Amino acid sequence: MSILTVERLSKNFRGLAAISDVSFAIAAGSITSIIGPNGAGKSTMFNLITGYLPLTAGEIRFRDKRITGMATNRIAELGVARAFQIARPFRDLSVFENVRIGALFGKAGPRDVVATTHRAMELAAIASLADQPASSLTVGQLRHLEVARAIATRADLLLADEPCAGLNPTETAAMIDVLRQVRTNGVTVVLVEHDMPSVMEVSDRVLVLDAGRLIADGSPRVVANDPKVIAAYLGTPDAA
Amino acid sequence: MKRNPTLVFLLVAVAVVVLAAGPLYLPPFYVRVGQLMLYSAGLGLAWAILGGFAGYVSFGHAAFIGVGAFTAGLVEGQFSSLPPFLLLPLGLLAGAACCAILAALIAYPILRLRGTFFAIAMLGVSHVCAEVTNNIDFFQGSMGLNFPPIAPASMDPANFFYEIYLVAALFILLVSWQIRRSRFGAGLLSIREDEDTARMLGVPTERYKRLAFVVSAVLTGVMGVIYAHSLGYITTDSVYRDDTNLSLIVYSLLGGMGTLFGPVIGAFLLVFITQVILGRLLDFHLFATGLLLVILVLSAPGGVAGLLKKRKRTAT
Amino acid sequence: MNLIAQTLADGLVLGGIYALAAVGFSLIFGVLHVINLSHGILVLMGAYLALIFSEALHIDPLLCIPPVMAVLFCVGYAYQRFLIQHAVDRASVNSMLLTFGVALMLQNAMIWVFSPDMRSITPSYAFTSLKLGPVNLDAVRLSALAASLILLSCLAALLRFSPLGRVIRATAQQTMAARLCGVNVRHVYALTFAVSAAFAGAAGIVIGIILPFSPNDEGGWTLNAFVVVVLGGVGSPAGALLGGLLLGLVSTLTAQYIGPAFPNVTMFLLLVLLLLVRPNGLLGNAFAPSR
Repeated sequence: MSILTVERLSKNFRGLAAISDVSFAIAAGSITSIIGPNGAGKSTMFNLITGYLPLTAGEIRFRDKRITGMATNRIAELGVARAFQIARPFRDLSVFENVRIGALFGKAGPRDVVATTHRAMELAAIASLADQPASSLTVGQLRHLEVARAIATRADLLLADEPCAGLNPTETAAMIDVLRQVRTNGVTVVLVEHDMPSVMEVSDRVLVLDAGRLIADGSPRVVANDPKVIAAYLGTPDAA
Repeated sequence: MKRNPTLVFLLVAVAVVVLAAGPLYLPPFYVRVGQLMLYSAGLGLAWAILGGFAGYVSFGHAAFIGVGAFTAGLVEGQFSSLPPFLLLPLGLLAGAACCAILAALIAYPILRLRGTFFAIAMLGVSHVCAEVTNNIDFFQGSMGLNFPPIAPASMDPANFFYEIYLVAALFILLVSWQIRRSRFGAGLLSIREDEDTARMLGVPTERYKRLAFVVSAVLTGVMGVIYAHSLGYITTDSVYRDDTNLSLIVYSLLGGMGTLFGPVIGAFLLVFITQVILGRLLDFHLFATGLLLVILVLSAPGGVAGLLKKRKRTAT
Repeated sequence: MNLIAQTLADGLVLGGIYALAAVGFSLIFGVLHVINLSHGILVLMGAYLALIFSEALHIDPLLCIPPVMAVLFCVGYAYQRFLIQHAVDRASVNSMLLTFGVALMLQNAMIWVFSPDMRSITPSYAFTSLKLGPVNLDAVRLSALAASLILLSCLAALLRFSPLGRVIRATAQQTMAARLCGVNVRHVYALTFAVSAAFAGAAGIVIGIILPFSPNDEGGWTLNAFVVVVLGGVGSPAGALLGGLLLGLVSTLTAQYIGPAFPNVTMFLLLVLLLLVRPNGLLGNAFAPSR
């Protein structure tokens, strides 16, 4: 069952084709990574899916429901959550209070709020930080908080925007672990990432964008050896 | 507060009992000071629902004091034949209703503004209400409005109003406390921290802001009605005051912006300083409020609660 | 017909003065991003200083403009450098609170020193007037308007052509870059505030000769300045002029045709409307990067 379907998606910014005719389907319960050189359109893709930006052409379906053109908060209500690269925590609130907001206003019932909050914090490996003010967290911990808050909404799909950016290898491994846990708990994960080893290790499937087009779509091993992908990143020997 | 709610409960209960018995052991001057403390605490709490919880710092809440007071006075004037004990409830109802309507009307446009623009727009509201009250004869702002005495004959009016203020302030404290521990309150806090992210997490930000605005306005108006009754006679300048506008903010700044008891602590402190310590220098206390604010902003923007937090952190 | 012409003329005269009274506020908002709630106090300072100087030295009040501007320049510099700068380092509401506190203090101080009674400055040519077609303009109002326009032009020239003006504009547009180029931003901020205070003081003199004033007016002048800025745009004398003229016209037209109780109500409604529709004013933010 595909939880997210994108059909012939295009986005133009006044003549610049940021996304051209991209189609793919994400299987429920999987971890998919979107990779590609800088400027390939990865963040734009997320913005289109969450309704942040209006699309130029194409269709987006979430659990078979057409979400093309829907307002961002409506899409969020349906079960799409996003964890941002530049974390936006509620600084003066504690970690627990931060995650609780996700649980309070997500799909959890009023009696399950506290339990959902604790569960989300455990999955994101920040339960020990529960009472600390968000302003005292490190960048890595803030990313975990982003994820915790997002999954506390009981979303079915988590879009993680470069969760490992700027993290050292230990922090990166911890984050990847969290994403695995999230997936094990039934949340489909789509992430945009640059960190190749992590991508290869954790993804069920990899999508490669280059200059707005989807140039590869398959398992990590297949994609890594695809000459088109190599060319996109490294260039070809005789490129002028 | 989260650490030991039973303890806090007990402390508050004891404080209420001690305060309620005030007129029995306090000399008349201090009963009046107590009135002012409780009045200010109630106002501060009402203001903080919007300013402290939701982060929409209003520089013009005196508008609602005035609207509440004048509405009550004008309505009660129409029903002057009623027995005194019905007049106050009538006035409260009328004042609250008018504040609710005014707030609901201006909420839509004014809450679209953020930060400093919202603050100044509210200051504008306050000035406009003052002007309209003053310049249109119907409102009797310049001539002044009389309020019939409503204290029961057996009681000293000062003590009577002291107890009424206590009840009102306690009521507002309870409302404030209820809001803070509710889903609504959590939503307001998230709006204060980061309104856009809150909306993306599903918080109905527009609806919550409007509700906070109306609740804050109504509670402020209620205090205004009681205040007018305790004065007995009001003009535009008695209620629409810029120093009140400022003080409401100072209470939270002093006691801790966004905390539950902050406005109460701040109100008690400020009234104590200006009335008791500087009491003889009557002309001085407006100046002192301004000076205190300046000192506060420069040295302790987190207020008393902020200072306490800092000390806890450096200790651990 | 005559009435409308007269009302419009009065509105324009008033507008020019509003513009001068607001331009300092606009500059501070545009460059320092501070809302100076003590702006009205600075305006009143100018008025009271002129009152003192002109009565003590028996000179025409408009001649007091240079010395008053000099005094307020120094006051403004010190105020910003040693007081407001510290509040700016924290949250934006803090500078509003600080200036509000100062305003309250100084308003009370003024009430002690000068009493809350209305005062006015009466120049020697007070009762002459000119007739221009269907319109009557008294000499005082005309000279006030002339002074306003001259001062506004001077400020515009200062900002556009002088080295100080260039530094101010650069710092407003890209503070970090200005710092990296060696600009002492605190000093520039203080200078900007000083200039702003000086012009506020000059405005006070101009207002003082046409309207009665008292310490209780300070809030009104600050709010006026805010409305002018919202109407006309932030940071430029042209924006202040446009906003001021608009406000002046709205004021006199409302007072004449709706009722003398209503100018401020209309002004406020206009303010809210504009904040919703075009929060950056008709001419926008003079220091914002162009698209």
